[in-house]
Amino acid sequence: MSVKTEIDPFRPAKIYFYSSLFWLGAGLTYGLILSLKFIWPNFLAYGPLQIILQYGRIRPIHTNIVLFGWLTMANVGALFYIIPKLCRNRLSFPRLAYGSAFIWNAVVFAGTVVLTLGYTTTTEYAEWPLWIDIIVVLMFGAIAFICFATIANRNEKQLYVSLWYFMGSLIWLIGLYIIGNLPYKMLSGVPQFLIFWFYGHNVIGLWFTTVGVGILYYLLPLLTKNPLYSHKLSLIGFWTIATFYVWNGPHHLQNGPIPLWLMKAGVIPSVMLIIPVWSVLANVFGTLKGKWHAVPHNVPLMFVVVGSIFYLITCLQGPFHSLQGPSSVIKFSDWVPGHAHLPLFGAFSFIAFAMMYYAIPKIIDHDIHSKKLMGAHFWFSVVGMFLFAFSTWTAGVLEGLAWIEGAQYGMQFVEMLVGMRPLFIIRAIAGALMLVGQMIFVVNLAVTIGKARNAQKGQENSA
Amino acid sequence: MSDSADERSMLPYIIGATVLFFLGVFGTTYLPFFDDQMQAPNENAEIRNYSLDSAEYRGREVYIREGCHTCHTMYVRPVLADSSLGPISQPSDYYYEAPAMLGSKRTGADLMWVGNRWNEDWHREHLLNPQKMLPGSIMPRYDYLSDEDLENLVAYLMSLKPSPQSEGRPVD
Repeated sequence: MSVKTEIDPFRPAKIYFYSSLFWLGAGLTYGLILSLKFIWPNFLAYGPLQIILQYGRIRPIHTNIVLFGWLTMANVGALFYIIPKLCRNRLSFPRLAYGSAFIWNAVVFAGTVVLTLGYTTTTEYAEWPLWIDIIVVLMFGAIAFICFATIANRNEKQLYVSLWYFMGSLIWLIGLYIIGNLPYKMLSGVPQFLIFWFYGHNVIGLWFTTVGVGILYYLLPLLTKNPLYSHKLSLIGFWTIATFYVWNGPHHLQNGPIPLWLMKAGVIPSVMLIIPVWSVLANVFGTLKGKWHAVPHNVPLMFVVVGSIFYLITCLQGPFHSLQGPSSVIKFSDWVPGHAHLPLFGAFSFIAFAMMYYAIPKIIDHDIHSKKLMGAHFWFSVVGMFLFAFSTWTAGVLEGLAWIEGAQYGMQFVEMLVGMRPLFIIRAIAGALMLVGQMIFVVNLAVTIGKARNAQKGQENSA
Repeated sequence: MSDSADERSMLPYIIGATVLFFLGVFGTTYLPFFDDQMQAPNENAEIRNYSLDSAEYRGREVYIREGCHTCHTMYVRPVLADSSLGPISQPSDYYYEAPAMLGSKRTGADLMWVGNRWNEDWHREHLLNPQKMLPGSIMPRYDYLSDEDLENLVAYLMSLKPSPQSEGRPVD
C-alpha cells in the first residue's frame, strides 16, 4: 500500500476538472435565464433580482463563466493530464498547479460578482476589469510555465501533435489576452473595436479551438485503437491554423467602417481556414476507418465524432458569413449566437466531455458509474445543440430579411420580434435540454467519484 | 511517422507560433491605427466627445453599466438591412469613442442616431416601461434606475444625433 502514501500526480488535473463541472452548471443556468428573458422580458424581475439578473448584466456573466470557468478549466485539467502522459514524466511544480486552481476559481467568482455590480469593459469575452485581468495573465503565465517546464523535462523525445497545439495555444492565449485587455480608456474608436474583435475571435480560435484539437488528437488513437491516420496532415493543420487564424478579427466589422484593405486582410485568411479544419476532419475520419462499428458503444467516442462534425459545420459557416453578401443578411441577428454556440458547446465542450469520461476513470481508478447516464448526457446535449442551432439560425435569417424589408426600429422591429417568439421558445427548450444533460453528467461523475472514494477507504480498512 | 530532428525540439514550434501570431497582430490591430480614415475626428465625433461632468457622459456610464451594448449596436452599414437607420457609419464618427461600442448583436434596434428618432419624454416612458410604448417589446424595464441616472441616460440617448455635416452622406 505504498502507492497511497505518495501524492497523486494527477491531483492538479482532478481539481481543475471538478471545478469546471461547477462552472458548467452555473454558466448554463445563466444561459437558460437569458433565453427565458427573450420570451418573458420581466422573467424573475422581482426585488433585487431585477438588477442582479438584468439581461445586459448577466449576458457577459454567462459567456465569461462558460468560457473561463467551464471550458478553460476543463482545458487546463486536460493539459495537466495529457502533457505528462505524452512526455512520460510527471507534471512539474504540482503544488503551484494545484494551488492555481483555487486562485482561478476565485478569479471567476470575483469576475461574476463584479459584472453583477455593473462594472464592465464592454469588450466581448473580456468584460472583467483590469485588476482581474492582471491576475488572469499571471495565472496563464503560471500555467504555461508549468506546461513548458514539463515538456522540457520530457522522457519521450518525439513531440506528439497534441503537444504542438498545446504549446502554441499557451503562447497565443497570453499574447491575445494582454492585447485584448489593454486598459479600455487608453484607446478609442474603430481601431479599438478591431482590437476587441481580434481578441474575441482569437480567444476562440487560438485557445479553445487549438487546445480542443490537441485533445482530439490525443483521444482519437486511444478511443479508436487505431494509429493516427496522417502525421503530415496534422502538421499542415497546425501550421495553417497558426498562419491564418490570427488574421480573422476584421471580418467582425464586415460592411463596417473599416478600410477595404483591412476587410480583405480579414476575409481572405477566414476563407483559407478551410484548410486546417479539413486536415483535422480528414484525420478524424481516416483514423476512424474500420472502427465505425465501435462508435455507438462508446460514449466518449460518440462525443468526439459528433464534436468533430460540429467543428466542421462551424468552420464551413465561418468563412461563408465573413463574406459581404451573407454578412449583410445575418450579421447582428440571432444567427450569431447559434454560430457561437456551435464551436464552444457543440465542438469543444463535447471534446472536453469525452476527455473527462476518458481521464477521470483513469485518475481515480474507478469505472464511470452508469453508461446509461453517459448516453443520456450525450443525447440531451446533442438534441439540445441541434434545437438551439436550428432555432437561432432560422430566427437569424428571418430577422435579417425583416430588416431588409424595413423593420429596422420602432413598432416594425417589435412586430418582427413578436414573430420570432416561437423560435425563442424552442431556443429556451434547447437550453433546458442542454442544462439537464449537464446535470446528468455532473451527477454521474459525482457518484463515480464517491464510489471510488468508498472503494479506496474499504481497501485501507482491509489492509 | 517521420523522425526528423525538428519534431524533437520545442523551439521551431515556439518561435514559429510566436512569429506568425505577431504578424497577424501587427496587420489587424496595429496597422489600422495608421490608416488615413482613422486619423481625424469629424463633427459627429466632436458631438460625442462628452466632457466628464456632462449629463451625457454620466448617461453613457449608465448605458455601459446596464449592458445596453449587449443588445444594441451603433453601427450603420451600407446595406439594405440598415437602409432606414440614417447616415452610414464612418471611422471618424467614433474617433473619441472609448470604449468603442459598435456592438455585435441587434436584439433591439440600432442606436447610432437614435437621438433623431424620439423625444425625451418618449425615451423616459420607454425606459420605465418599454411595453407601454412598444407593445410586444422584449426589452426589460429600467424602472429601478435613480431619477438622476434615468435623466442622464435620456440625455445621452438624445445626444446621438448626426451633425449637419453628415446630411449629404449616403444613407443607402
